[in-house]
Amino acid sequence: MKKKSISYAKWGYIFIIPFFLVYFICSIIPLLSTFYYSFFEYYENGLDVIGPTFAGFDNYIALFTPTKSGNIKLLDCTYNTMIMWIMGAVPQIVVAMVLALIFTSTRLKIKGQRFFKTVIYMPNLIMASAFAMLMFTLFSNVGPVNQIIQGITGETFNFFRNTWSARTLVAFVNFLMWFGNTTILFMAGIMGIDQSLFEAASIDGATSTQVFFKVTLPLLMPIIVYTLITALIGGLQMFDVPQLLCGGSGDPNGTTCTLVMYLNSFLSGYRNYGMAGALSVILFIITGILSFIVYRSLVTDESKGGKK
Amino acid sequence: MKKRILTALLASAMILSAASCGEKAAEDTTTTAPAAGGDAAATDAPAAGGDAAATDAPAAGGDAAAEEGKVLNIHAWNEEFKGFFEKYYAGTKPVNAGADGEEGTADDVYYDKAPGIPEGVEVVWTITPSDGGAYQTKVDEMLKAQETAAADDKVDFFLAEADYILKYAGSDKTLDVSTIGVTQADTMYNYTAQAASDANGKMKGVSFQCCPSALIYRRSIAKEVIGSDDPADVQAALSDWTKFEEVAAKAKDLGYYMTASYAETYRTFSNNATEAWVDADNNLVIPGVVKEYIAQAKKFMDNGWTLPDGIWGDEKNAQMFAGGKTMCFFGPAWYYNFSMGNAQDPDAGCFGDWAICQGPQAHFWGGTWLLAATGTDNPTLVADIMNAFTINEDICSALVQNEKQFSNNTTVNQKFADDPNYGNAFLGGQNDTAIFVELAKNIKFENSTIYDQLLNEGLPGQFLGYFEGTATEEEAYAAFYQYVNENYPAIVTP
Repeated sequence: MKKKSISYAKWGYIFIIPFFLVYFICSIIPLLSTFYYSFFEYYENGLDVIGPTFAGFDNYIALFTPTKSGNIKLLDCTYNTMIMWIMGAVPQIVVAMVLALIFTSTRLKIKGQRFFKTVIYMPNLIMASAFAMLMFTLFSNVGPVNQIIQGITGETFNFFRNTWSARTLVAFVNFLMWFGNTTILFMAGIMGIDQSLFEAASIDGATSTQVFFKVTLPLLMPIIVYTLITALIGGLQMFDVPQLLCGGSGDPNGTTCTLVMYLNSFLSGYRNYGMAGALSVILFIITGILSFIVYRSLVTDESKGGKK
Repeated sequence: MKKRILTALLASAMILSAASCGEKAAEDTTTTAPAAGGDAAATDAPAAGGDAAATDAPAAGGDAAAEEGKVLNIHAWNEEFKGFFEKYYAGTKPVNAGADGEEGTADDVYYDKAPGIPEGVEVVWTITPSDGGAYQTKVDEMLKAQETAAADDKVDFFLAEADYILKYAGSDKTLDVSTIGVTQADTMYNYTAQAASDANGKMKGVSFQCCPSALIYRRSIAKEVIGSDDPADVQAALSDWTKFEEVAAKAKDLGYYMTASYAETYRTFSNNATEAWVDADNNLVIPGVVKEYIAQAKKFMDNGWTLPDGIWGDEKNAQMFAGGKTMCFFGPAWYYNFSMGNAQDPDAGCFGDWAICQGPQAHFWGGTWLLAATGTDNPTLVADIMNAFTINEDICSALVQNEKQFSNNTTVNQKFADDPNYGNAFLGGQNDTAIFVELAKNIKFENSTIYDQLLNEGLPGQFLGYFEGTATEEEAYAAFYQYVNENYPAIVTP
């Protein structure tokens, strides 16, 4: 009798059942069926549905088949996605880091922190689609920005018909939407660092640069890795902003077409479940590989440093 | 120990409150139930027989329909027909009708005259915008679920456009309307019946409009460029594409644009195709006329005769304001009634500064058909609506006179075309019906496929890079083939 201890573990399991149930129905089943159908010829034609008939790797081969002009759209879209992500994510992390340092600095003691935090987080609360529509209206050929440009130069500049201006706008919207979020994460990370370390560093006569590179940055690494990986996954799924800003096919000439926009194009006419499935699987694999690379390259460095 | 008592207390409080809620709910239903039952069964029933539940339905015309479904489900992609339906058929005034003046407007006559829908029938509109094929996706889903849907959830009829009507008319998801009492009237334009018929000639629906497309031009600009704003003179100056280009060059010299979109003339070409988009083996065929369009659009863009905007673009629409610099637009009656809101703007628009003529090439654009869905539970009502908008001369006349539509009733159209006093104020008093009566004679509905919509809508955009000079012609074709593969997997591209 005495040996028997009361275990509350089963309650833990019972309480997490709802999550796993929902996760199983809404995530695992669709995930597996995506893998499954990616090997099938399965699409709509008018009101008829063709398939599903097993087609092996045909869908994957079709995705890697060059178009008549010789480029592979899948690779183009991957490149577009990465380039627009980097254009947005690099300034996002740099600006967020600077802001986080300013806000957490014990020397500066900025007043009205709450106000600034709210303001920089605000863009994230607006729907991406609304933000994109706002930008579209601002920069369209008949929008206010172009009216100013016309007033100065006498000619309008079509922002959405130039590869680099269109990509910059997409990256800019993503930057604006997410830098506040990253700032808050970094601030939480920095504030979690033991103050005595900073004090010790300043007693030892470390400069601010040294403190940042030798104390703050290494200890912030887990947060940075987390931010990078989530930003990367979010970036690979970039869809709403370029779709609305640059039209469904990624104007001009498909140079702003992201992977998910490509995926969407298989579902906009007569839906092609097989091809969309194959593309989703590829996206899944790309996300997995990139996340692994980021994780490996940053986390091992940190653990080496820690072991010393 | 204390904690345990507290939790017990809280738990019992929760159970109690839940129980009391349950009791209350139960009480509510029990008390209201007899009342409701008494209302309908005991008090009203002897007095006014079939009011609510429609028992045997004596007298009055709409009673056959009253025995049918209680919900009329209509699918559409915009509010255009909904407005006509409510005004001329259902007679249901919009909720905010009295906003301007309590006494109502001139339209009240129509609301009062409307046949009305049978009592107890609720009309449910489902509006899904057509962008990117979203409307068709919605309708497809509904039609596929039609067999298993509850009677009141079944689609009764839905609207379809010329570009994809074949997809529905050719399938068994639409109903042969001759079985419910709608046949091709002599007054209907033949192509409207042809478009709505399947391969065996069974008509699946009707159109309430006929859509010959005209060249819509700004009178003030035409006066400057051509020297006259009279439709006959303008037509003489723009009767073929060579002349059209000559005038375009002249307009450019005077600081005007000939058209406001690189896709503006697309329909004038594509409607006159002598081959379909796909051949018998589902191979993509680029019709010769589409190639002509590509060449022309390139020329117009290179020369700056047109603005580099899409057919529905904001920049193009801004050209319809009084300050616009564009002379020509192409479109049928619905286009200047429904899509040229900027021109009709009381402050910034240029109402009355417009006129129409045939232009270089006869064509049509769009048109809305009402297709009956197989399995409708309101066949009588559906048939009555279809007949009302095609053979009811009062309603057709109202569509022309009041809505400036070009109706699908030759008798009514001819009546207005012959009326010397009839004119459209938007077109400076020109009798547009008279022009359309002539244009309608040339409409052909041929060589269409179930793929037309996204092919026609997508082509100009895929070639924009080529028109602008940022892509080669080969690259544009490759991009278009890729686009076709993505949207229509069944089509084989070169």
